[in-house]
Amino acid sequence: MTRYQAGDHAAAQALIERISPNLHRYLDAQAPNRFDADDLLQEVWLRIHRVRHTYQPDKPLLPWVYAIARRVHIDHYRRTIRTSVREQRWDELHEPAASGEPECAQVGHDLQELLSPLSASEREVLELMKVGGMSLEEVARATSCTVGSVKQKVHRAYGKLREAMSMTNPKKAQTGVVP
Amino acid sequence: MRDAEIEQALDRAAIRAPITLPPGLLGRIGNSLGPRIEAVRPLPATGILVAGLVFLIALVAVLGAWRTGFAGLAALPAGSRWAIFGALSILGCVAAARVVAEWIPGSPAHLVSGGLLTLICLTLLVLFGLLFHDYTTTNFVAAGSACLITGLIWAVPAGLLALVWLRRGWVVNPVAAGVTAGALAGLSGLALLELRCTNFEAFHILLWHVLVVPVSAAAGAALGWSAHRAHPRLSRRQR
Repeated sequence: MTRYQAGDHAAAQALIERISPNLHRYLDAQAPNRFDADDLLQEVWLRIHRVRHTYQPDKPLLPWVYAIARRVHIDHYRRTIRTSVREQRWDELHEPAASGEPECAQVGHDLQELLSPLSASEREVLELMKVGGMSLEEVARATSCTVGSVKQKVHRAYGKLREAMSMTNPKKAQTGVVP
Repeated sequence: MRDAEIEQALDRAAIRAPITLPPGLLGRIGNSLGPRIEAVRPLPATGILVAGLVFLIALVAVLGAWRTGFAGLAALPAGSRWAIFGALSILGCVAAARVVAEWIPGSPAHLVSGGLLTLICLTLLVLFGLLFHDYTTTNFVAAGSACLITGLIWAVPAGLLALVWLRRGWVVNPVAAGVTAGALAGLSGLALLELRCTNFEAFHILLWHVLVVPVSAAAGAALGWSAHRAHPRLSRRQR
């Protein structure tokens, strides 16, 4: 990142290749469809490029990247909400053709299914930890929360997951076998 | 079912999730950054940004008192002076650190913006409650609103200077940033009132002086919210 700040194009490309897969997976989990995640990934990198001077070399990189990605996603979500209200009538008139994105439901399907009983903020925290590979402290930095708040969300999420897993497979849950 | 088993299930599900980036996407992203990347100067260390912010806020308070007079400071007993300005300095440093954190993505958040505002207000209420025991009220609304307005007027340049000082930063949450910056600017206005105001009635100080901070924070939040609302429209126009 420091070399990227110094203007090294190869370093920027290397960083893009290294971070993008997990970042895309995170955005994919947040976005309603695969094409949105592709667009969001590009937008995130453009935003990172524009504000690359705000990265301080002595600080961890991932929370900085994911904090920007989160903001881009929130902006995108707000835009989508606004435009969807306007476009609703058009959609009612023209039913969309069969989905041209067969992969979209597959990407991260297991994880999404597993996290479905959780609230959006609990899901996000677990996604950042499991998909982004961040620690509690880093997730707290990325989401502008306190570490205590992140711990609380994880604790609640685990409680809900335990309950959901026990309901779907009580026998395995009792014996401690993960479904 | 134990936490470790849930964690295992999550890890397995996360690993199973395939990473399938569309071909050429990363190349397109790399190309979109342009053929040549300009070198940028990283932001100064957080400590420097915080120190600069505290200096600017104190400067505004002192300049304000220089114009309107240091009568309040002169009339305060020495112990109260140390207690009030010591507490204001500490709160100013905490608020400045939080403001800087709001302007740098991925900064640690030991205290959220609402928590900061509550901490400032509660500390000041307790401190002023302990120091001032004159419970009479003279000209309560007229004198109080004059103090509130003066504090808020001087909070404006403090807030503007903070924005100029942090202009190279990037705000992740504009509303939270507005609250923290507003609270910091409000502290500057409050410090000015403590320097100049000779009305030591407890209710006057507890209400009208302390009120500068939440009102200023609310104004900051409103500004942040409007910026937040305006941002997508601006970015759509840019495209």
